[in-house]
Amino acid sequence: MTTAIDAIRLSRDDNVATVLRAVAPGEAINVRGPDGVAIFEAAGPLPLCHKVALQMLSKGTAIVKYGQPIGTLVQDAAPGDLVHVHNMISNRGRRV
Amino acid sequence: MQLHYHNPERGDLGKTFYGYPRANGDVGTRNHLLILGVTGLTAPIVRRLGGMLPHAVALATTSGSGLIGDDKAMHLCLLKGLATHPNVGGVLVLGHDGRLVSAVADAAMAISRPVESLVFDDLGHDALVMTEHGLKAAVGLMHRISRERRECCNAQKLFLGLECGRSDPSSGLVANPLVGLIADSIVDAGGRAVIGETTEWLGAEHLLAERAATPELAQTILDAALRREQMAIDAGIDLTGANPGQTNIDAGLSSIEEKSLGAIAKSGSRPIKGLLRYAERPREQGLHVMDQGSYAPESVTGFVAAGANLVLFTTGVGNAYGSALAPSIKVSGNPETAARLGHQLDFDASKAFRGERSLEDLAEELETLVLDIASGSLTWSEALNETNEAFTRLGPSF
Repeated sequence: MTTAIDAIRLSRDDNVATVLRAVAPGEAINVRGPDGVAIFEAAGPLPLCHKVALQMLSKGTAIVKYGQPIGTLVQDAAPGDLVHVHNMISNRGRRV
Repeated sequence: MQLHYHNPERGDLGKTFYGYPRANGDVGTRNHLLILGVTGLTAPIVRRLGGMLPHAVALATTSGSGLIGDDKAMHLCLLKGLATHPNVGGVLVLGHDGRLVSAVADAAMAISRPVESLVFDDLGHDALVMTEHGLKAAVGLMHRISRERRECCNAQKLFLGLECGRSDPSSGLVANPLVGLIADSIVDAGGRAVIGETTEWLGAEHLLAERAATPELAQTILDAALRREQMAIDAGIDLTGANPGQTNIDAGLSSIEEKSLGAIAKSGSRPIKGLLRYAERPREQGLHVMDQGSYAPESVTGFVAAGANLVLFTTGVGNAYGSALAPSIKVSGNPETAARLGHQLDFDASKAFRGERSLEDLAEELETLVLDIASGSLTWSEALNETNEAFTRLGPSF
């Protein structure tokens, strides 16, 4: 029997994974990545297709998905935290 | 509109479909009569004729006079592109301005496409007279083009417009890479494909530039992306909230970079041969990029006016829209969308999202559907007539 996969990490360089189902706070999630499956605990609700932090990330860290930077963290995040527009910003097309 | 369904045969010809060969070497995946209004004053007549002849495709710009410069050139290129589209078996061109009507009608005539034209100025701006003449001309054309028959054609005659609309993170995981595999396959067969939506290159433009056929083209791609970014900055907006829009954000996309990295997966992996202006026809086979806006109706018409005879249209949270001239094949990998809107998807790719099927596996199935639809099977948006074309403008009128 194979383990159900709850989230996917697309590249070794990624510090976030995408959840493949809606996850409730405290739920254990199996994150599949290029090096196998790791288990994380969701800190809060993770809506379908949203991103979850996979390591301690401090404010100012580049969020990496697809092996590429997709923005910058504006507040610290811990493994299992949702990463979205509330705690990260785009680096492109910003009002100065 | 004459539609025949055939199963494409795979033989010595390689990938094939049944299409309408045109005198200029293009192949139509449809055989539409197009009633094309090239000026806004005649748009109501075009709409009336469309109502009288539901099998025709009736499209009309709302512009016509007072255009200048690049905007004027683009508008004319767009009108000519629609009039000469491979899926247009014949075209009736209507407008008030005789020179503009001639310019568009001549483009169709130059490739031996059946064409009739009517000039409102010559008819004293009598709408009843133009309606009567237009109806007679349109019925004659429709009768004539109904004699066209589909023939077995190589897939190199396909030109795919690659679009995404109402994307979410599933688009970048499943539907876009899946469509990218089809783009690779059609490009390898000698066909054409195009992606656009320049804003959605931001954060991924370096990956597109790496695939450019020449260093000059790579620079042109980078410049186009930066120009689009600067437009947002000059307008005093943050792209976040505009693109990605609120729908994208609610679905989990956090930045334009994230959206772009998912969006460019539609382009597959083959070299990029050229950067096209809006509605510009590619001069050679292979994959192209088009510098244009990102709203699906505008973007799709840019591809269609460039000659795309099929649109592969991915969506995350669901999108009903299709091109009026080119069958638009709707693909989603989001299981919630498949459950809620499965009836309006042409291809449900959610099994790949759930890990039950590989993308490669689904690509084979999708390619069969693509060739079937190219051969006459209807898309959902065609069956419902959930279709349109946009007459995009670049600047102010005078």
